[in-house]
Amino acid sequence: MKSKAAMIHGLNQEWSVEEIDIQAPKKNEVIVHWRAAGMCHSDEHLVTGDMVPPQEYWEFMGLKDFFPMIGGHEGAGVVVEVGPDVTDLAVGDHVSASFVPSCGRCRYCSTGRQNLCDLGSQTFIGGMITDGTHRHFQKNGEPVTLMAKLGTFSEYACVATNSLIKIDKDIPLEAAALVSCGVATGWGSATARAQTKPGDTVVVVGVGGIGMNAVQGAKMAGAKRIIAIDPVEFKREKAMEFGATHTFSSMAEALPAVMEMTWGQLADRVIMTPGVLHGEMMGEGMSLAGKGSTVVVTAISPMTSTTASINLFELAMWQKEVKGTIFGSLNPRADIPALLDMYRSGTLKLDELITKRYPLDQINEGYRAMRDGENIRGVIVNG
Amino acid sequence: MKTQAAILWEVGAPWSVEEIDLDPPGPGEVLVKLAASGMCHSDEHLVTGDLPFALPMIGGHEGAGVVMEVGVGVSWLAPGDHVVFGFIPSCGRCPSCSRGHQNLCDLGAKMGGGRQITDGTARHHARGQDLSLMCILGTFAHHTVVNEASCIKIDNDIPLDRACLTGCGVVTGWGSSVYAAEVAPGDTVAVVGVGGIGANALQGAKLAGAKRIIAIDPVEFKREKAMELGATHTASSMTEAVELIGQITWGQMANKVIMTMGVGSGELIGQAMALAGKRGRVVVTNLHPALESSVTMSGLDLTLYEKQLVGSLFGSGNPRADIPKLLNLYRDGLLDLDGLITRRYPLEGVNDGYQDMRDGKNIRGVLVYD
Ligand SMILES: NC(=O)c1ccc[n+]([C@@H]2O[C@H](COP(=O)([O-])OP(=O)(O)OC[C@H]3O[C@@H](n4cnc5c(N)ncnc54)[C@H](O)[C@@H]3O)[C@@H](O)[C@H]2O)c1
Ligand SMILES: NC(=O)c1ccc[n+]([C@@H]2O[C@H](COP(=O)([O-])OP(=O)(O)OC[C@H]3O[C@@H](n4cnc5c(N)ncnc54)[C@H](O)[C@@H]3O)[C@@H](O)[C@H]2O)c1
Ligand SMILES: [Zn+2]
Ligand SMILES: [Zn+2]
Ligand SMILES: [Zn+2]
Ligand SMILES: [Zn+2]
Repeated sequence: MKSKAAMIHGLNQEWSVEEIDIQAPKKNEVIVHWRAAGMCHSDEHLVTGDMVPPQEYWEFMGLKDFFPMIGGHEGAGVVVEVGPDVTDLAVGDHVSASFVPSCGRCRYCSTGRQNLCDLGSQTFIGGMITDGTHRHFQKNGEPVTLMAKLGTFSEYACVATNSLIKIDKDIPLEAAALVSCGVATGWGSATARAQTKPGDTVVVVGVGGIGMNAVQGAKMAGAKRIIAIDPVEFKREKAMEFGATHTFSSMAEALPAVMEMTWGQLADRVIMTPGVLHGEMMGEGMSLAGKGSTVVVTAISPMTSTTASINLFELAMWQKEVKGTIFGSLNPRADIPALLDMYRSGTLKLDELITKRYPLDQINEGYRAMRDGENIRGVIVNG
Repeated sequence: MKTQAAILWEVGAPWSVEEIDLDPPGPGEVLVKLAASGMCHSDEHLVTGDLPFALPMIGGHEGAGVVMEVGVGVSWLAPGDHVVFGFIPSCGRCPSCSRGHQNLCDLGAKMGGGRQITDGTARHHARGQDLSLMCILGTFAHHTVVNEASCIKIDNDIPLDRACLTGCGVVTGWGSSVYAAEVAPGDTVAVVGVGGIGANALQGAKLAGAKRIIAIDPVEFKREKAMELGATHTASSMTEAVELIGQITWGQMANKVIMTMGVGSGELIGQAMALAGKRGRVVVTNLHPALESSVTMSGLDLTLYEKQLVGSLFGSGNPRADIPKLLNLYRDGLLDLDGLITRRYPLEGVNDGYQDMRDGKNIRGVLVYD
């Protein structure tokens, strides 16, 4: 079948919306009509190269070329065709994307860490996670790969059932799209990973699509003070609506204030969710964290950078811990439906996260707006 | 096809080994040639009626074998693969499976009926009747058809008569100590009942670093075996153990108590709680009769000493992660499976095997098929 898709052909290029050809789904695959796709910062990392493996590794990864790639890993849509033997999804089902697949059988899936499913290793290489072959082709007949094997910046895509979560039909697909990456990642960073407890002081550094949900998560977990840090005033205002109690424009500005309001105890949890996390930002983030505190690293750092400014003396003597997280350490199959149910019951804000909607053709305008700090989340909507 | 199976036709009857008709596997199902099956006490609960499952039923839920045929849609198993059955199916998709509690998989709801998970019908028939399967497995048989959700693929180098024990007893006992009781280095742990489950609770407690492990069993042979499996002290009853534990802990009592007797009894929970000290955790792994509805214990102790009473199914483990993990521990010499098997029997010896269990002669008796 034919579809329009936004792909990128190389580093620092614009998204290019082109017609592609999609082959029929094979075993354990379905065709999804993506109806809504969130514009997460992680796709921008493909453009800037922060999340592109160095060229010398491509051959080792079995790749002739990393590009072109259809973007998008936050999304929700409707199943329009199923491959042979697919029993858990049917035509007409509503699905949320899951940028981490979950096979349900590997060691990690089997111990409540679906976000670390062994299939995750396949999401950066070649074709489908099912059998490694391609289903998506450009006009010139050459194959094109999909971001996170989802490609939600396409009208249609062939996706493995292991990367899809069935959701109830009363949930708006835009809401589900947001939950599929940004909301779950941010919310889980504050709850599951940081283990925010009632009465805690929590700092969130960077309140975009991810950080705003870390603020919501910290609030739901009963944090007493939630300090949102972002250079953009609009983000800081929004953060107050999502539950922040204080805001600052930089970590440097926040430090004396956090020191004062906690009587020198500093924060119990610090969650790092800026657009790009450079190593030298870690020292500042860690200095906001008190004794016995937890610092969660959610944001993406340039893939090849290997240094971070951390005072290891303080780390040891103040018994701090630094923890990474993917997908907020949640389990997509249990937690995407659970978060959507919180939305249904009114305890999780989703509609308020969407600043602006764009048709697929205007994707570059959407990412410009993200870079310029105009959006909490921009969402691509396909009719 | 025709095969042999041990069937329980009614409560109180002996196991009847006879020929049955076995249908080919349907979608999502697998035909397995069984190699061995442990004789767990849970099947005895079918005979006594403590576990009221649908009869007639083929017994056995601790099995291992070789895949002979796979039904439509089974993509990850092939003929020749070695499998252990998890006694609880794990779909890998429901909320419990997704959060690391595969032992509580929603498919477990189908166990009482004992019919195929896919469509609720039977593949096993005898004397013109449909047969149910213990734990939807029926491992007291030379062949069976089960759902893929019950199959755990294992490496081919592990002997199947030992591997089968990890389908129930080993993970249940080991996990009761490691996961449910959360035994920590330096703990004092009491294990009440040293059968197939308790023997592994001892091994789990030892690997988790317990300082003292008190094995309690009225049968002398069990107490001797317990010392080989990691116990540091033994007692023949909980009454005897209260004094012993009081002495060796200077009155602090046990940090963890694990209940793995043949049949649990509400009247004995108070004694078990008395073995536990402040913040002590008592894990109930053994099955109590289905209709029992009361427990005798001091509620004041519970509060003032902050004791905890928790249940545990399959040792609170995850079949797909823990069966391979414990087989690796066996390979590395950190888990004894060989020493768990006291006697081997052919399928026709199933009633002898259970008599020996009742007589306290076996840690585990295992049916071995050829
Ligand atoms: N770990 C994961 O599983 C996971 C999942 C999704 C996204 N991410 C990553 O999380 C990060 C955030 O993504 P997003 O979609 O929310 O991005 P975003 O662009 O929507 O938001 C980032 C925010 O950080 C702010 N910011 C930039 N520099 C800052 C600084 N020095 N101090 C404070 N605030 C600063 C920006 O103003 C912006 O509001 C990205 O790196 C993204 O790739 C990680
Ligand atoms: N929770 C679960 O997931 C699970 C799984 C498997 C088995 N089980 C149950 O665990 C229990 C143990 O099973 P098993 O196969 O090890 O049984 P078993 O018959 O092999 O061993 C039971 C042992 O308890 C001893 N015992 C009996 N009464 C005692 C008492 N009052 N004090 C101390 N010891 C006593 C017996 O001498 C015997 O050695 C059974 O109830 C079984 O149904 C539970
Ligand atoms: Zn994302
Ligand atoms: Zn997995
Ligand atoms: Zn058992
Ligand atoms: Zn399940």
